[in-house]
Amino acid sequence: MKKVLVIQEDLIILKILERLVNLNNYSCKAIRSLNELSIEDQQNNFDFIISDILFEGIAPLQFVAQVQEILLHKNLLIVTNMGQDKIKQEIFALSGIAGFYAVPIDLDEIDATLKAYNE
Amino acid sequence: MNEVTLLLLIKILLVLLVVYWIAIGISMFYRRIRMRRLAIIEETFADLVSRYLYNDPENPISISQINDRLKKIGIRPGNRNNIQYLISLMIRTQRTIIGSNFIKLQKLYGMIPPYGVSIAKIGSWNWYRQARGIREIYEMNQSHYLDEVLKYRNDKNIYVRREAQIAMVVFLGWESLRFLPYLKWNMTLWQQIKIVEKLYDLYPQPDLKWLQKAYETDRSFAKRLLMRIIRKFELHSEIDYIMKHLTDEDYEVRETAIYCIKTFAVSRADMSFIKAEFDKIPEPTQQLQLMNYIFENSDIDVPFYLEQLYGPNEDIRLSVAEILWNNGHKQKVQEFYLQQYPNTSMHVG
Amino acid sequence: MLDSLETFFGSGIVFDLTNYFFFTYGILLLCLYFTGVVLASRAIRRTKRKANFLQVADVVSATDIPSVTLVAPAFNEGMTIIENVKSLLSIQYPYYELILVNDGSKDDSMEKLIREFDLEKHDASFISQPIPTALVRNIYRSRNKKYTHLTVIDKNNGGRADALNAGINFATTELVVCTDADCIIEQDALIKMVRPYLEENKKEIIACGGGIGIANDSIIRNGVMKELRLPNSIVPMVQVVEYIRAFLLGRMAWGEINGLMLVSGAFGMYPRKRLLEVGGFDAKTVGEDLELCIRLRRHMEDLGIPYKVVYLPETLCWTEGPPDYSILVKQRDRWARGLWETMAINKKLFFNPKYRFMGILYYPYWLFFEFGAPLVEFFGLLCIIAFGLFGWINWPVAILLFLAVYLLGCIFSTAAIFMYVKSFDHYTKPRQVIELLLAAYLEPFVYHPVIVFGQMKGYYKKLFRIQSGWGTMTRKGFKVSES
Repeated sequence: MKKVLVIQEDLIILKILERLVNLNNYSCKAIRSLNELSIEDQQNNFDFIISDILFEGIAPLQFVAQVQEILLHKNLLIVTNMGQDKIKQEIFALSGIAGFYAVPIDLDEIDATLKAYNE
Repeated sequence: MNEVTLLLLIKILLVLLVVYWIAIGISMFYRRIRMRRLAIIEETFADLVSRYLYNDPENPISISQINDRLKKIGIRPGNRNNIQYLISLMIRTQRTIIGSNFIKLQKLYGMIPPYGVSIAKIGSWNWYRQARGIREIYEMNQSHYLDEVLKYRNDKNIYVRREAQIAMVVFLGWESLRFLPYLKWNMTLWQQIKIVEKLYDLYPQPDLKWLQKAYETDRSFAKRLLMRIIRKFELHSEIDYIMKHLTDEDYEVRETAIYCIKTFAVSRADMSFIKAEFDKIPEPTQQLQLMNYIFENSDIDVPFYLEQLYGPNEDIRLSVAEILWNNGHKQKVQEFYLQQYPNTSMHVG
Repeated sequence: MLDSLETFFGSGIVFDLTNYFFFTYGILLLCLYFTGVVLASRAIRRTKRKANFLQVADVVSATDIPSVTLVAPAFNEGMTIIENVKSLLSIQYPYYELILVNDGSKDDSMEKLIREFDLEKHDASFISQPIPTALVRNIYRSRNKKYTHLTVIDKNNGGRADALNAGINFATTELVVCTDADCIIEQDALIKMVRPYLEENKKEIIACGGGIGIANDSIIRNGVMKELRLPNSIVPMVQVVEYIRAFLLGRMAWGEINGLMLVSGAFGMYPRKRLLEVGGFDAKTVGEDLELCIRLRRHMEDLGIPYKVVYLPETLCWTEGPPDYSILVKQRDRWARGLWETMAINKKLFFNPKYRFMGILYYPYWLFFEFGAPLVEFFGLLCIIAFGLFGWINWPVAILLFLAVYLLGCIFSTAAIFMYVKSFDHYTKPRQVIELLLAAYLEPFVYHPVIVFGQMKGYYKKLFRIQSGWGTMTRKGFKVSES
């Protein structure tokens, strides 16, 4: 089964994304911060990581760079409240970002991305 | 002051101190219980919403099940604090989502508590309750209360009128520009930002008719609002309005015009117009901002820069010197400095 | 000599006048404190309510909000500089720049910064210096895209105020936050600080301050306050109460009537435009934060533009307080000298109706009750000793009066702690609150005499023109926990 890691501090978005991922027949690990990640989780190669960029103690750009560095993954999608064009450009400048969704988000777009990958 | 009076005063003060201790104890105890309760409500709500939006065909959740669970965690008419917290969660969720799920959410909100709580707040004498009520109405898109909300658009309390004005944009969209520039009171920066964002999120298709009609306004806040709208929607056809205000007599209007023009790449003719207007801007800090824009968006126009290099402001001269120095005109800068300080040699670069 | 003193004070008029002076001073102070509690509670309630209409999430996602530069000077902080910069970089704000000013450090701060953040030198030839500062040697920016928001200014040593001015010169944003590199700033501090600017209506906000807390012995992880603990020793412990009282009661109350004359140097936000107009911080005084705030206010009064200085009740910045008596004395000595200098620079304000409330009320308050308080206390103590020696004190009444005044002090401190516990969730354990209350009740005996001594020492230096600078404030550093 394909694996997705969802990292969102906002519990409601986290639960909705977890549900969306599960219904698309992925196995989902949903966490509110990187600290919740176990050693086994870190050894996974995730098909998708869907993450926010606002976390305590780390700048958004550093967070993205850290995720890219420490977690094996195929696609990194950003879903964030801090979705200004400037931030988007800076995040994309780091390269390796598959998608950037600024809140308010159309969940159908993420749904379509997951479905397309599954086919 | 004798001993008896002092003893009495001491007793009163001791009682007061004990009252404070009790208040601290109660406050801490209440906070602990409350935080636990709020966490339960948030978790339950998150679970219910996610299951409702992405209903599992094998284990579907019904509205009655949702209502039962909400009741179980304390969402009852008598418990106003819990209901208020639920409303804040509902608003938070709704603001996070657009598209088909937004419509689904609205449908859900129509079938779960709290029924009619927000409209009841509008009649309150307390500005805080009133403003909160209006906010809840527009955030939850209860457009049938539009007439009640509109009455407050010129209220004397800034929060009440602000929320009413935002509600107007949420419900009327571009047509609200009929009223906005002519409001009695000033509009804060946050109000302008919020209005532009609501317009952008809810009415992404611009209706220029209303925008152009609003150009007639001479109110400072309205001019700034209109320029922000042009910027957010990237309305290239309307940049004349921004350019016209680069030299406005109001500092804030100029500031907004310079900020907004930065979003656009303009034609050569427009750039010539901007350069011609440059000297009419009275603030050197604003001239510097515009100078950066001109530099980043046009070819090096040596005569224009030289004119500024020999101008009166030191900061502008430095900025121009840097531009010319880094863009193949070192000699012009050296000539300038030799002319200014004939006895010194340059150590640049 | 004792006899002549006895004759002097013994004459009815002088004795009565002395008594009435201290009594009136005490009553006035009491009334001011009481008014402060009322105003502060109103201000806190209103601030919390207003925050409901402009929540953190609203600002985080907003476009068009003002851009902010945080200027942090650092001098010889090589031991902690990397952690400090990472901590400051992690502050959450969409349009945020960090300028670290290396103020001529003699240690390896600069080398460490260059290595860690992959900094490269940029041409500093054309930097404009609207505020004159010590020579700026180089400007550094990171090659690494992770650190695009970081700029390091390497300059000759000129002191804290000079370093802040260099950062203000170089900033290009609308708002500038001045802080210290070793402060722990709350992640959402800028979002909260920017709110008053977004909501300004009729009056321009010229300065905004946030609560400052004492974090000695707390646990810091990744530059973030992980566990707020109360300090282990009594000196910083009492400072926790002192800061809560000063920020929650004092600043909020003055803010409510737009009478704030001070935004703490550890964490204050200003519009850059206004800072440039007044020429930035005054590098010649050791009380540069107070001096700047008063100068900004005077500037706005002179321009005739309505303005406001605001304070947020929430603790947004954590700092390390003096850990022992000797450093505490040094700190209060410096503050007292800064106050003296600022009062002297602005003596023109004294009962000057041209400056409206600032001249008629706020400046005289500072002169009589901030500047004057240590003097009154010190002379009060001398009088008690003298009157005691002459046998003029009715001891049973005096002891009861002392007890009543002590209880009043306890009530004000308890009120501040109550308001803090009720409004914020920093100290949530019963044990912590009990410790805070105990510290508050011990303050008059174990802490207050020491700060009066420190203040008198500062005044003495000013009076006899004894040269003294900032003094060394040795810090132990926070407890850092690895993630």
